[in-house]
Amino acid sequence: MQSKPIALTILDILSVISLGVATYFALVFAPTELFMGQVQRVFYFHVGTAWVGMLGFILAAIAGIIYLINKDMRWDRFEVAAVEISTMFFFITIVLGSIWARPAWNTWWTWDPRLTTAAITELIYIAYFMLRAGIEDPEKRARFGAVYTLLGGISVPITFMVIRLFRTIHPVVIGNESAAAQGGFSMSGDMVTAMLVSFAAFTIIFIDLMWHRIRIGGLQDKVEELKLKVSM
Amino acid sequence: METYPDTSSYMVAGYIVSFLTMGIYVLSMYIRNRNLKRDLETLEDMDTNKKK
Amino acid sequence: MKPSAPSLLKATFAIVQKDLAAELRSRELLSAMLVFSMLVILIFNFALELNIDVRKSVTAGVLWTTFAFAGTLGLNRSMAVEKDRGCMDGLLLAPVDRSAIFFGKAISNLAFMLIVEAIVIPMYAILYNETRIFQPEFLGVLLLGSIGYIAVGTLLSAMSVQTRTRDVLLPILLFPVAVPVLLASVKASGGIITGAPFAEILTPLNLLIVYDIVFIAISFMVFDYVVEE
Repeated sequence: MQSKPIALTILDILSVISLGVATYFALVFAPTELFMGQVQRVFYFHVGTAWVGMLGFILAAIAGIIYLINKDMRWDRFEVAAVEISTMFFFITIVLGSIWARPAWNTWWTWDPRLTTAAITELIYIAYFMLRAGIEDPEKRARFGAVYTLLGGISVPITFMVIRLFRTIHPVVIGNESAAAQGGFSMSGDMVTAMLVSFAAFTIIFIDLMWHRIRIGGLQDKVEELKLKVSM
Repeated sequence: METYPDTSSYMVAGYIVSFLTMGIYVLSMYIRNRNLKRDLETLEDMDTNKKK
Repeated sequence: MKPSAPSLLKATFAIVQKDLAAELRSRELLSAMLVFSMLVILIFNFALELNIDVRKSVTAGVLWTTFAFAGTLGLNRSMAVEKDRGCMDGLLLAPVDRSAIFFGKAISNLAFMLIVEAIVIPMYAILYNETRIFQPEFLGVLLLGSIGYIAVGTLLSAMSVQTRTRDVLLPILLFPVAVPVLLASVKASGGIITGAPFAEILTPLNLLIVYDIVFIAISFMVFDYVVEE
């Protein structure tokens, strides 16, 4: 049985530290925002998780394409890991957004392009797991999964563009069109620092979780293989 | 505006949800890993017994 | 290409012809889609209280919801028939390009959907005294939307029939991916009904065309991976 590589242990420790640092920067270091008060502090985790969530979905689509070309099961494991972790992070993004929206927009949810697109993305990847659950043959499961992540990866940006035709109230914090949106705020230098720290921290955590999940995927395949061997 | 609107309860709720979700996910990975390792051991035992 | 293999076009139309001939004889797919569409419109009538004011803004939405639901019914059935009677294996063994199978199935699915639309639209016009839906622009959007929806739908139904949970899986897989077509179509056709300026309709129309092209290309490219054994 392969033992845990040292690099992974180091990465584990690093993730815990960076989560702590990001929390410190978000809760203590960053100044309190004037109009919304303390709740604005969820913003740092909101953008951090959103970033790794999107990163994972893009990586999954790419891994899907590579799998379809070379049919190497390692890419399938990579794809599943990316989708699963991103779905988890995206869930946090959506919940945090909702918690922020309640005091800022006075509602838990609006059918704004970003919110709606996020919800649809989440649904696509839940459908992805339902699709995989319905297929027994691992090779076919990998093939269909790859095709579906590819379709999802292409449809999500178009979804966003279509929904944007209806009006938006989501603030654009990165970039400079925030004037029209409600609840927008200009970020001070310390806020930008806290945000960048959060990006970096979640990237490290993401890589760490990916590594673990890929190892579990390898273990799953091994168990399945052995089961077949024993039952014969 | 001199006084901040008091929205700290929302903030606390937000961070609780974040850590809870990540915690549950990591726990689920830990449990899956443990179960798979146990399965693997049993299966390897069965495999070696079969060969004898 | 081997000289004995029929050309892509010929093979595609052979499949379309087969599907239409089979449907002409049994009529089970079209009748199911039609009755279902009627029922959906009937339910919407009571659920939304479709009076004159409301009707103007929701007609496009009601029609598209109806077609989307009826469409999944048809897509599921059309692919399940191939699978159950072993026709799919026969088609795959035939010396034709795989893309002929995709285009053949997509075109016959599109034909079924358009037939249903051609019957439901006049019916809706009579029931609700709504003649604005006969504008050529509206029908054009309907065609564009149906093409995009069927292209992805054909690919996904080929996937869903091969799974354990096939009957429930297709709408779950299809709807989130098809959201852009449905929304763009609703936006564009709604704009046409309410007489919005052309500039307002142009953006959703462009997105609809982009979606159609991209998804026909993608579905066609990956279809091979979905049917291979």
